[in-house]
Amino acid sequence: MNQKELIAIGKSFFKRQGWTAFPFQLETWNAFLQGKNGLLHAPTGSGKTYALWIPIALHLIRKNKNFKEKLPPGVKAIWITPLRALSVEIKQAAEKMVLDLDLPLTVGIRTGDTSASERVKQKTKMPDLLVTTPESLQLLLATKGYDKIFKNCEAIVIDEWHELLGTKRGVQMELALSRLKTIVPKLQLWGISATIGNLAKAQEVLFGVNQNPEETVLVSAQIHKKIRVESVLPEKMETYPYRGHMGLHLLDQVAEIIKSSKTTLIFTNVRSACELWFQRLLEKYPEFAGEMAMHHGSISRETRQWVENAIRNEELKVVVCTSSLDLGVDFAPVESIVQVGSPKGVARFLQRAGRSGHQPGKESRVYFLVTYAMELIEASALRKAVENGIVEDRVPFLNSWDVLIQYLNTLAVSDGFYPNEIFKEVKSTFCYQEMTPEEWQWIINFLVYGSQSLQAYDEFKKVELDPDGCMIIRSRRTAMHHLMSIGTIVSDASMMVKFLSGGYIGSIEESFASRLQPGDTFIFGGKKLTLFKIKNMQVLVQKAAANATSKVVSWSGGRMSFSAQMSELMRQEIHLANKPEQLSVELEALEPIFKRQRKESIIPNANEFLIETFKTREGYHAIFYPFEGRFVHEALASVLAYRMSLLSPISFSLAYNDYGFELLSDQEFSIQDLLDNNLLSTAHLHSDLQASLNATEMARRKFRDIAIIAGLIFTGMPGKSVKAKHLQSGTQLLFEVFKEYEPNNLLLQQAYRETFEHQLEEGRLLLALERIALQEIVVKQCSKPTPFSFPIITDRLREKLSSESLAERIKKMTASYLK
Amino acid sequence: MTFETTICNQNFTLHCSGAIFWNNKNTLLIADVHLGKVTHFRKNGFAIPNEALHRNFDKLMEVVSYFKATTILFLGDLFHSAKNTEWDLFVKWSQNCGCALVLIAGNHDIIQPYNYEELGIKVVDFLIIDNFMLTHHPTDSADFFNFSGHVHPGITLTGLGRSRMKLPCFFQRKNQIVLPAFGAFTGLGIIQPEEGDVIYAIAGLEIVLVQKS
Repeated sequence: MNQKELIAIGKSFFKRQGWTAFPFQLETWNAFLQGKNGLLHAPTGSGKTYALWIPIALHLIRKNKNFKEKLPPGVKAIWITPLRALSVEIKQAAEKMVLDLDLPLTVGIRTGDTSASERVKQKTKMPDLLVTTPESLQLLLATKGYDKIFKNCEAIVIDEWHELLGTKRGVQMELALSRLKTIVPKLQLWGISATIGNLAKAQEVLFGVNQNPEETVLVSAQIHKKIRVESVLPEKMETYPYRGHMGLHLLDQVAEIIKSSKTTLIFTNVRSACELWFQRLLEKYPEFAGEMAMHHGSISRETRQWVENAIRNEELKVVVCTSSLDLGVDFAPVESIVQVGSPKGVARFLQRAGRSGHQPGKESRVYFLVTYAMELIEASALRKAVENGIVEDRVPFLNSWDVLIQYLNTLAVSDGFYPNEIFKEVKSTFCYQEMTPEEWQWIINFLVYGSQSLQAYDEFKKVELDPDGCMIIRSRRTAMHHLMSIGTIVSDASMMVKFLSGGYIGSIEESFASRLQPGDTFIFGGKKLTLFKIKNMQVLVQKAAANATSKVVSWSGGRMSFSAQMSELMRQEIHLANKPEQLSVELEALEPIFKRQRKESIIPNANEFLIETFKTREGYHAIFYPFEGRFVHEALASVLAYRMSLLSPISFSLAYNDYGFELLSDQEFSIQDLLDNNLLSTAHLHSDLQASLNATEMARRKFRDIAIIAGLIFTGMPGKSVKAKHLQSGTQLLFEVFKEYEPNNLLLQQAYRETFEHQLEEGRLLLALERIALQEIVVKQCSKPTPFSFPIITDRLREKLSSESLAERIKKMTASYLK
Repeated sequence: MTFETTICNQNFTLHCSGAIFWNNKNTLLIADVHLGKVTHFRKNGFAIPNEALHRNFDKLMEVVSYFKATTILFLGDLFHSAKNTEWDLFVKWSQNCGCALVLIAGNHDIIQPYNYEELGIKVVDFLIIDNFMLTHHPTDSADFFNFSGHVHPGITLTGLGRSRMKLPCFFQRKNQIVLPAFGAFTGLGIIQPEEGDVIYAIAGLEIVLVQKS
């Protein structure tokens, strides 16, 4: 069958569904059938699934002349999705096609949700078309004789590649692909990505360094969707909180939106806000009961699936959710999106906006619900970003040793590996292209000796070295530890929440659970629960009395920062505040606050850099306003405090948000000193960052994830709790031990590197300082906190920096250990 | 480096290593060394730096020679796990340290007592000397002053400007004192002090008395 005939089969399938293939779909079919690899740039809900399932099927038809009678064993094509929740839809799409074209292909899912019995079945007979996640693919690589599973695989599709790029799961994927390419040299590789700022880079990372990017194709769907952005504003600006989290004072307006739409999704940034919104909405509008639901990552899978189906079947009027509903399949009935609080990035905002108005010709409607006054500036900036199509880059990770160690353990658990062979493969990935042979040797020593040299008395045992050079894990216990840790890249240490009488509700972070006392009441999964006890990593609860007062479950959840793009937009907006003739609706609403800000201080123009100082009961405050996003501010605050502390012994407490940062001290300090000594200079930036205590604090936090991924932390094993206790230790303790006794450890260094590159965004910091150098510095001595400063100075999550000796500091602290 | 204090007419010296020296008896009190922990982790494939285990023995030697002690009373959790190669290091050390050794068994001490007794080390559940009761778990007693370990006490200090820090400490409440963990690979159990408690925080090489003002 020639290509034209094959394409005709694909078209006939579309015709029977009453569809016409889009040009981008035809382009992808053709490119695939010509044997090309490529990246498909297409948004969710554009028909991207059939852009690739169809040519995979057509290719299999072409390849197997007698395909109706006999197919070779093993999996023929793999579809990787970053979200388990999407796997069902993708499978159903494939099944529809298989059925219509009458193909003898089986379709199956293998994710963390797949039952053990199903897995065993798959072991003897793999489905022909397999839908799976990056983690489950890793687990397949941990199976003995895994090469046989993939031997006859023709194609692999990485869906939502933009979601994986710039994460460690993406690195995990790069490594798995490097192995598969060796096992199956003819494997065709395709990625699918939504719009991001750096698509070309996405393509490069997907295909690795050995493939010339010009030999791969980029197919673009070119679908432009209309998005209408509206801000939900309070009637009276004066009552607007200076800082707040929930935006509940706008409940009534949201209810109006809900009533006027078929289905509304309310996106919150954290799960605790999700719980609270659900609760309050139900209290105030009991008529929504039965038509409203909640969806977040801690809620049990069954409930989430039920919610997703109910949205599709138009059974729900409103769903309060978190990023758990960011991705995925189309929910046709969704007409409106409400975003509660800043989404912090244009891409995320667009993604969420895109969840509505899926029917052809409809526009997406998104309401930005501003939770505190200053966020109105963001609303205004976001609207412009959407209008102008500005989207962020995704920065891929480099040299993630933790993921590499996890991957090598995986290979060691299955058939073992030969370092020389695997070195070449690993080097071919984008992530590890710069890895040196010395670093590789370090990793190998770490796996075999647990250190860089063999030492007397040492009993370290993990990966064993066979006489023929094969590296393999023989201990079943070690293998089990490892297999259980593979999913750890995404999840925190979490505990199951269960009713005492049985019945699984969901899971919460261990850190939250540990703060609860038996008898405490908390809201979770929309239910009021009382803690009975915590046992074996399970939180056992009972239904609480209706009148019990409760804590809302609070999840640590990562604090997000403005992207570079958002920051730039924000600065433009702020400066507009001084040009009354150009005010957007949001900025106009902010006028009362601007007015007060002007009275107490100023609103900086584009050529001005504002510093405010004032004194309160808490001490001496200095607030700086670079408008560069919280991560950059975190770094900048730390560097400045450090440089100040070199002038004279002083302790600072630091706070920051997306607009600016604060240095707070119990003693008076002079901003003029700061300016006279040119402390905002870019000179010695890296060493100053490193020297500031803050970098260590942040590295400590980064190290937590690294230690878990690299398998340095025992995450627990069911049924072995007593014995396992001896193997438990906190990551904090580990960090201290490594810092003191093995400062050259690559994993420890990675923690610092990630801190500088990903968290502190050193590159952006440099640019910010260069920009500030060109601005005029305006120092305002204020009599009291200004409206701009208020959200910053009330931030309770703080860092500290000091040049005083430990003993000196303690003497000052003595007063207040008892609150 | 040290801090002198008097309890029931006896002189004690708190040392920044976490040990307490009982001057009148020439005796060191040491809690929660957790020997064997590093090796136990390493045996199970967790690559904790080996140097940490040597540090424990170095610290023991340093503190013994500093005070020229003749007796060491271990207040429990001397060994973290079942026997492993660190036991051999401990045997060597115990024979050369020049002190009489007594172990008040803690919850981690699962190594059979005869192993210690073969080395001439006495193993007991608790010990009463004069007005003092030595235990692993903090124990309230009307008749005795109690020395104990187990909780690895640490304190969070907060100061002006909302600065915070966590430090290991000796923790004294009424007629008992809890020693910090001596071992290099041990965490902290943060305590919430009450009115009248006395906290001796260990700040590097210094001991600082922290009191509510």
